[in-house]
Formats: sequence, C-alpha cells, structure tokens
Amino acid sequence: MSGKGAGTLQALKPGEARCPNEPTTQEIIAQDRVAAPGWVRSESYEFLGDEDISIDRYIDPAFAKKEFDTLWTRTWQFACREEHIPEVGDYYVYDIGRHSLIVTRVAANEVRAYHNTCLHRGTRLRAPGSGGFASEFKCPFHGWSWNIDGSLKEVVCEWDFPHVNAANYSLPEARVERLAGFVFINMDRDAPALADYLGPEFMGHINQWKLEDRYIYCHVQKSLPANWKLSMEAFMEAYHVLETHPQVAVSNADANSQYDVFGKHVDRFISSLGVLSPHLRGRYTEQDILDQFTIGDSSVLGGEDRTLREGETARQRMADIMREMFEKGTNSDLSAVSDSEILDCFSYTVFPNTFMFPGISLPMVYRFRPDPADHRKTIYEVLFMRPVPVGGSRPEPAEVVRLRDGQSFTEAQGMDPGFGAILDQDTENLILQQQGLEGSAKPGITLGNYQEIRVRHFERAVDAYVGDGI
Amino acid sequence: MSGEFTRFCPVEELPPGAKKAVRINETWVLVCNADNRLFAVSGICSHQARPLLNGRVRNCKITCPVHGARFDLATGEPLDLPATKPIDTYEFRVVEGWIEVRV
Repeated sequence: MSGKGAGTLQALKPGEARCPNEPTTQEIIAQDRVAAPGWVRSESYEFLGDEDISIDRYIDPAFAKKEFDTLWTRTWQFACREEHIPEVGDYYVYDIGRHSLIVTRVAANEVRAYHNTCLHRGTRLRAPGSGGFASEFKCPFHGWSWNIDGSLKEVVCEWDFPHVNAANYSLPEARVERLAGFVFINMDRDAPALADYLGPEFMGHINQWKLEDRYIYCHVQKSLPANWKLSMEAFMEAYHVLETHPQVAVSNADANSQYDVFGKHVDRFISSLGVLSPHLRGRYTEQDILDQFTIGDSSVLGGEDRTLREGETARQRMADIMREMFEKGTNSDLSAVSDSEILDCFSYTVFPNTFMFPGISLPMVYRFRPDPADHRKTIYEVLFMRPVPVGGSRPEPAEVVRLRDGQSFTEAQGMDPGFGAILDQDTENLILQQQGLEGSAKPGITLGNYQEIRVRHFERAVDAYVGDGI
Repeated sequence: MSGEFTRFCPVEELPPGAKKAVRINETWVLVCNADNRLFAVSGICSHQARPLLNGRVRNCKITCPVHGARFDLATGEPLDLPATKPIDTYEFRVVEGWIEVRV
C-alpha cells in the first residue's frame, strides 16, 4: 500500500481517502462470527481542516498557564472511580495543577468534591494524591474541622473568631457527576451537565459498556517527558504502529483503522486485531498472524495450541481462544460479547485528559495531567480494568505503582510485559518529539486528514477553551 | 528486638479485614488482618500521636483517620503527608490459638 503517488486520490475531497485496496474496519468486523453491537458498527468521521497546528501550545509555559486558568477549571475530569470511595466517609484526593479536590462519599448515593484548602490559613486538609476514610476533615495546623458533608464542625478557640459565621464557612465545592463507575468533577458552576458535555452519541456508547462492573486490578503511574497534549496524542492514532511498535504490526490493521469524532469532547479509533497490517500485505500467513498476536492482558492466556485449522482465520481463532480464556481468568460470562469487543482496540478520548478502552483484551483507562512544575512533563496513569468476578465480591482497587523517571513500564508489578514494552517505545518517542519541537524551524505540526483526525479534534477543543470559544 | 512475647488476643478475634488495638505495658499495639495476613504495628500515628484504630486499611496500608497520614503495615514507612516518620512494627507469632506480640 505504501509508496503510491497521490494521483489516484485526486478525485476525492480532503478527508475522504482511506487506505487503498484494503478492507475497512467495518468490513473486517462484519465477517466476525459473534456480531458486533451498534456502537461498534457506527462511523462518525468529520473533516476538520488540514492546516498545521501551532507548536507554541507544546513548548510555551505561557500557554500552559492559560490552560490551567481556562481549560482545567472548566472541563469535566475523571477524578476517581467509585470503587476508590465505597463507604460513607471514604475520600480520594484529586489534584490538577494548583487545584486539589477532596472527593468524598457523603451518603450511599452521594459524592461531593471539596476544594482541599483550610478556610482558616490555607493548609491542605489532606495530602495531595492521598486517600482514606474520615469522620471529619481536620486541618493538621490549628485543628479547624469540617464534617464530611462540608459544613464547618469546629473552630478551635471559637471565642477569638466572632467574625466567622459557620454558614459562610462550608468547604467550597466543585461539581460532581458519576457515570459508569467514574466520578467526574468540574470546577465551573456554569459548565453543561456531564451528559450534555459528552454528547448523546458517546452516552449511548458508554451506557452499554458496563464499566461500572469492572474493577482496577493494576494501576501504574509515571512521569512522561513531554507536554501533556503530546503525551495524549501519542495514543490517538494507529499510524505510528508500523514504525514505533513493529512487533505488533503483524496482527494489527493499523493503516485501515477507523477514526470517529463525536461532538466537541469525544473521539475514538477502532483498530482491528488478529488481522495483518496493510503495510505487510503478502508477507505473512494467517498462521504467522496468530503466532505473533500479542495483547495487553495476556496474563489470563494459557499455553493454547495455536495451530490453525483449514480455512480458519487467525482473527476468528484468537477471538474464540480469548473469549474462553478471559471467561476462565476473570470468572465472567462473555458469551454475549462480540468478537470485536473481545479482540479489538477501542480507544476513546474524553476531553481533556482521559482515554477509555472498553474492549476486553485491552481493558485500560488512561489519565494524563500536566505536571504543574514543568509544562514539558506529564503525570500519566494507566489503569487496567477487569470484570468483577461473577458471584464474587468486588476486589479492592489496586494500589498505584509509581515508576521512577526512566524506569521501564515492564518493571511495574501487574503490567503485561508486552504492553509495558509498547509504552516504553511511546515514551522514547516523546522525549525526542518534545526536544524536536523546542527547536523546530517549522512553526506547526502537519497532520493526516483521516488517521490523525483525533489529534486535530482534540486541539480544536483545547483552542476553544484557551481561546475562550466554548 | 527485646522483651518477651505477650498474648494479644485469640487469633479468631481477627478475621480477614478486622483490626484490634491492645495496650501492652505502656505501648498501644494495633494488629490488623489485611489480605489474609496479620500485621502488628504501633496503634499511634507518628504524626500527632492520634489512634490509628479507626483508620481505613487497604492493600496492607493504613490511613490515619484524623489527618490522613498513611503507613505501610509491613514496614511502618510513612506514605503520605502529613506524616514523615515511620510507625513501629512488632514481631508476632501465633501460639495455641493466640496472637502473641513482642514489644
């Protein structure tokens, strides 16, 4: 497929071209034995222009400051999972930039988020990044305390504060909404409701995924050496797979992956697995594809016989094997789950900083936050989500494994080594990309119309907030 | 370690997920059954000397309920501010159905 001139494509309008002479993602999925649901079978690409994207957004600390002032304060963000705060009084501290929020369960079906600053002299009431149980939030400095419903409980030496009216000293709150087991926060009182922010198409998707019935079985955090937007954009397309991750290209339909945008804040790709990369057409057999298939959560796979029968495709065989093994490995019933959901990589971006992968083989959530101390660094987290065992109790969410700068993802306990190697390859690129942009003679980056539409869509949303256009 | 082992409580009083604090001589000792393992640590937070008994235990870590300091039950190391100092950990054994701790 590579090396063809543009001449054959000239009749198409910008954005209409697709990987030539290859099946589309929808055509691949249509051949599956267990049919995919509507959210998989949908397409929603939109051409959004082909001009370069300015580089200053990645390298200018003033741009990062604008983002903190206008973007992070006005967007819905995944703060924690409900499983982090199962009991009344449980709390989880979510930090973004200079802001810190104590997300706490105040009743069985009510979660609130308080600005994590004492109203006396400003000390954090709970340490950044911490979590636990509290019957009250007591400041470690002078002991002012608040009830978990946010109301002022005690001012030590109240006689000295006649000017403090308890009615005005409740902890300031951010907005909270819960969806599919995720707790979202928004510091903007005027922001749209979460469902409106995400849009009806995505709401129709996420409401079918049952992510509320999954639990975090592995949670890894590491500082990435690049701006948060560069870090996110490294995961928005399969275009880089051939060069960056050649070990998986044999069993990944990279150049014919599907890209969609849904409203202002959500986009996705569907990248089919168990099929050959168009770049490698004619160089590998179906048996080769099966033999080289790797997945993100291979720990549940046993030593299966991987010899294909006459006429059997690698994709179908892998779907069958994985369905059985994931059912055993997670004690869950996947009989109604389509082959595509079992196998394929579904990567959704929920603006500004969350990726959701609702598939079974690649069951991740990513979260990216800018490092407030350095706009060229990103606090990156990957959470692997498994179905809660059928008939069993919900396991506790995994403790965060924090990697050192430069430490390999493969060293994180619970991380699939093959997946860790992929993340290491992405990290290596990011170091060089940030360096390259810092000294670029060209003022913008250039994007493909189709395969990189998510990058453009994402940056349009950034511009809308930073430029105050939302 | 010095001192003798002292009976703490019958082992059946600490099923998975349970914890109990007992004063041995002048020392408050907290024994937790977390993830089906027993841990014996100081019952007093190293930050401002408040009891840890009502703290949440998760993944073999305990969080002080007063100011949120968190400690590794296996090592006593502090994991979150405001604590910067570890809590003591104690040797223990199970003899004839009793947990015994050496303080």
